[in-house]
Amino acid sequence: MTPQELVIRMLPPFGGWLALAALTLPDASPLRAAAVAVFLAAGPGAAVVRIGGPALRSRPAESPVDRRDPDFARHSDLLERLMLVVFLSVGVVLIAATVLIAGHAFSGQRVLLALTVLTTLAAFCPPLRASPPPRTRKGSAP
Amino acid sequence: MRPPATSRERSEPEPVPGQQTPGRQETQSGAEPEAAGLPARKAPDRSSQESHGHTEEAVTDLSDLSDLSDLPAWPPRVGRAAWPAAPLPAALALWGYAVTHTDVSELDDFGLVSALHPTFWLGLAVLVAGFWFTVRDPRRSHSWSLAYVLGLLVMERATQAVVYPTPLYAWAWKHDAVVDHLLTSGGLQTSRELGDLAVYDQWPGFFAAQAALVRLVGVDSAAMYMAWWPLVSSLMLLLPLLLIYRTFTADRRLIWTAVWIFYVANWVGQDYFSPQSVAFALHLGVLAVVLRRYGPTGTGAGGQRSALWTLVITVMVVAIVISHQLTPGMLAVSLAALCLTRRYRDWTPLITTVVIFLAWCLTAALPFLSAALPDMIRSVGDIGGNLSTGYEATPTGTGAVATSWVARLLSGSVLLLAVFGVLRQRVLRHRALPLVLLAAAPLPMFAASSYGDEMIFRVLMFMLPGACFFAAAALLPRVCTLAADAAAREGRPQTVPQGLRFGTWVPLLALVAGTLAFVPSYSGKDRMSYFPPREVDLVREVFDRAPKGSLVVAADRNYPLAYASYWNVDHYWFLEDTRGHVDQILENPAATLARDMSVVEPPGRAYFLLTQGQFADSEMNGLLSGAELRRIERSVAASPLFERVAGNGAGVVYVLKGASR
Repeated sequence: MTPQELVIRMLPPFGGWLALAALTLPDASPLRAAAVAVFLAAGPGAAVVRIGGPALRSRPAESPVDRRDPDFARHSDLLERLMLVVFLSVGVVLIAATVLIAGHAFSGQRVLLALTVLTTLAAFCPPLRASPPPRTRKGSAP
Repeated sequence: MRPPATSRERSEPEPVPGQQTPGRQETQSGAEPEAAGLPARKAPDRSSQESHGHTEEAVTDLSDLSDLSDLPAWPPRVGRAAWPAAPLPAALALWGYAVTHTDVSELDDFGLVSALHPTFWLGLAVLVAGFWFTVRDPRRSHSWSLAYVLGLLVMERATQAVVYPTPLYAWAWKHDAVVDHLLTSGGLQTSRELGDLAVYDQWPGFFAAQAALVRLVGVDSAAMYMAWWPLVSSLMLLLPLLLIYRTFTADRRLIWTAVWIFYVANWVGQDYFSPQSVAFALHLGVLAVVLRRYGPTGTGAGGQRSALWTLVITVMVVAIVISHQLTPGMLAVSLAALCLTRRYRDWTPLITTVVIFLAWCLTAALPFLSAALPDMIRSVGDIGGNLSTGYEATPTGTGAVATSWVARLLSGSVLLLAVFGVLRQRVLRHRALPLVLLAAAPLPMFAASSYGDEMIFRVLMFMLPGACFFAAAALLPRVCTLAADAAAREGRPQTVPQGLRFGTWVPLLALVAGTLAFVPSYSGKDRMSYFPPREVDLVREVFDRAPKGSLVVAADRNYPLAYASYWNVDHYWFLEDTRGHVDQILENPAATLARDMSVVEPPGRAYFLLTQGQFADSEMNGLLSGAELRRIERSVAASPLFERVAGNGAGVVYVLKGASR
């Protein structure tokens, strides 16, 4: 594992623990708000996308026929990953908060702690590998 | 949950400036690709390409395209290379000056429109012009277009947060009250405890997450940050919108102009602090994934598709379903519409959405649905009724009528442009057929429900992502097939690029007009939506002193904190009663109101609250005139049955002496 991979893997849980530590700051402090907001908006999604990324990208996405830049598809994929990081984070936050409130076990700290623990566990999961490409018969088009 | 009643109701590296791409070189020299040292590309079989839109060969050679060939050829001078930097900061500087010189203390019937400093309009015009000439310049990267769109969002969606000291919209204040309720109760409650408002506890996703955020940030309530929610929620839409458009075209002009038109046309105002603001972004996120990953390219041997993508959309669909009632329905009809094309005939996303939606409706949301089912069934098929109630009340007064018509004109123009784009852009219509279907998919919802008089606005909003793509295409040069384009190039020399012309100025004027029209459409009724701090203070004073079981009576619900403590304090808005009863109140205000309010059981008390927000709503929606409301107030003030307990320049509060002695 390269240092860069290690940073990408550990950044989401670090963000979660940092947000938890920020709760010791005074109420409504900008630093506290920023740490919490950044983790809730990107942390859980980044952890999920790191695990599922290779498998999710195993097949090319739809792209326009008029693309002229060879990097166009790559940049669209980057955009897609960014969207998934944010939207999966938002989705997971909505679901976690709903589960806790439906179970009468709601508190802000519990929501943050649950997401931080899940993100930390996710950091120890290896990325899902892409399924091998389908076998093609000799002479057939790939 | 009932919607608001008001009218609110990225990156392809481009050549470094000064350098020329092969395509530009060819365009400027007018030489054929081979002559320009570029590989000549044999024209592919046209019939094959046209019959398989997405099996058309990807172009990697700029000489294949005519998309940018219509652009004016500009010599690579340093000044011109840097010019996009000028209009954007100039526009933002004008905006900054405008918002610091805008006085909102005395809003008239034109809302923010007449209160804004003139430099705001100049700034907006400069921004549009800067955007249009930047997005048309092939040397400018996507980053510049992004910067201009962000500038637009700041000017459109952050102005109100900057100029008003308190959050807008009674509905946003209501949602703040729901968050407060979840924080107070710590759990979900039923209609036995909450009455009609238990509906929010059956779709609690957004509110639960906001409750967590309020606690984690350490603020008193969501009101501390909800004024900025329109900007946040609008930014959330940007990523899926770009992805959707990039699935069907690589033309930067088309992508960014469509994004621009979307933001300008989306005046409906569902971007405020509400579940639908997040659910709409997630809805677009699901569509972006489906359009990119559930097409023929992503299908492996035997039609296998990664279960992981289904897991991804499942998370987003669950978040939508637990947060909002209408969005899952809109998502289902959109996914069903996509299944009409062979390209996207994968039933997995649709089945996933329907199963999750039904599972939630038949469990957590069953109490609300079983109570509302008779009304829902009655409204099915009543298209006229569902359409005619689009405006809950009749806009009254020059300002309200004018801004309503500007909003209608804006929406109508964008939809007409979209139709023109579909008819004119034959090639694009074929390539982006799924977007045509997505634009049309929400229309059947007119037959399903009036959705609290709001269905017309919601249908419009859900049509916009698809419609705006073709509205943008109507303003841009015709897209050719790859084969036709290559053949044309082989058959004739390239035309010398023309300078600024009709095709430049007409779209620019259309964009300027649309962008300026957004402001009255979105902010033209701010007299109704804005509650000054003293009005907030007055209402808060009522709820601070109201014992449990109290009743607050008001003309309508258009005031801040209207739902504060709704689990402890009841409400009665007499303008929502029958016309006959309102007439009785007008005939004998104090006695009739006292009789209505006498039902309160001790220790509860009955309060009569009249504020400027109610005056604005009643007058601008043609309910009661200001004179009639003042007559009611004078009657109550003069009555021995009532005692004035609070008041300031924004309103007055009386308590019924007879109740809870």
